Amino acid sequence: MNVQVGDSIPEWVMESVRPERMRTMAAILRDPNPVHWDRKAVAALPFGLGERTINQGPLGLSYMLNMLMDWAGPTSVRRVTVRFPKVVLDGDHITAGGRVTAIREEDGVRLADCEIWLSREGESPSLEGTATVALPES
Amino acid sequence: MADIQPPAEEIRALVGHEFPGGKYTVAHWENFLLTECTGSEQLPDGLVHPVVLFHMPILGANTSIGGMFALGQAESDFSIGIESYDWEIERPLHEDVEYTVTGRVTEADRMEGPRRHDRPGVYDRIQFRFELHEPGGDFAASSTITWTYRRSAA
Repeated sequence: MNVQVGDSIPEWVMESVRPERMRTMAAILRDPNPVHWDRKAVAALPFGLGERTINQGPLGLSYMLNMLMDWAGPTSVRRVTVRFPKVVLDGDHITAGGRVTAIREEDGVRLADCEIWLSREGESPSLEGTATVALPES
Repeated sequence: MADIQPPAEEIRALVGHEFPGGKYTVAHWENFLLTECTGSEQLPDGLVHPVVLFHMPILGANTSIGGMFALGQAESDFSIGIESYDWEIERPLHEDVEYTVTGRVTEADRMEGPRRHDRPGVYDRIQFRFELHEPGGDFAASSTITWTYRRSAA
């Protein structure tokens, strides 16, 4: 795989964040927080988010993982570190993006360090962080 | 910060707290639904989608999201904020493999200032670290979760 520092990672797009997926996720996670499945609970918060459920942090992170796996393969991700400056809401159209910041070798494996983000069009990132990905040989 | 409950000393004393620990096996149905939630195609060869590194270590260590809220004496579900997640994957995870899971509190302290979209105020910052090992004992993955617990004056 021919990768250079500065390369952009092909974007991964979630056309519309779906509330029913948050509900399934809440059940799998045994997550009792109603902000992920009760729109009225979100509307009652003092954050002005309206009647839209808040996507689980790990789900937003998963869109960035999908981008990395589509790019470098399903076993490529070695590390992700992500912060959450803003929430993602049901109905959001969001895009995961990234850029290669370094390439190095460790124990015979070629690794790409990347900066990654998840954002609504024209806005600062809702999630942002770094990733290390093992690059396929061919 | 004298009128903030719980006392900061109780929060700081959480460092070193260990969860009971245990085993966790990801079944195909669980991986299928989890992967579908992410919007991804199913992964090949029984690979588990890495997003499992949020809930699997928590449940495998014999705690729960609600239990972690309670450990930090959260005022409500709404008082919790995410600071960061840090996931390391030494070996990709697979369905139907029984992983051994350990977990503990690695950092806990009282802070003051703005939190993400929230108003400025007092909050507690608690960090949890979970580790997964394969049946043979090899390290497979880790998950470090850092949450904030907003506090209001008494």
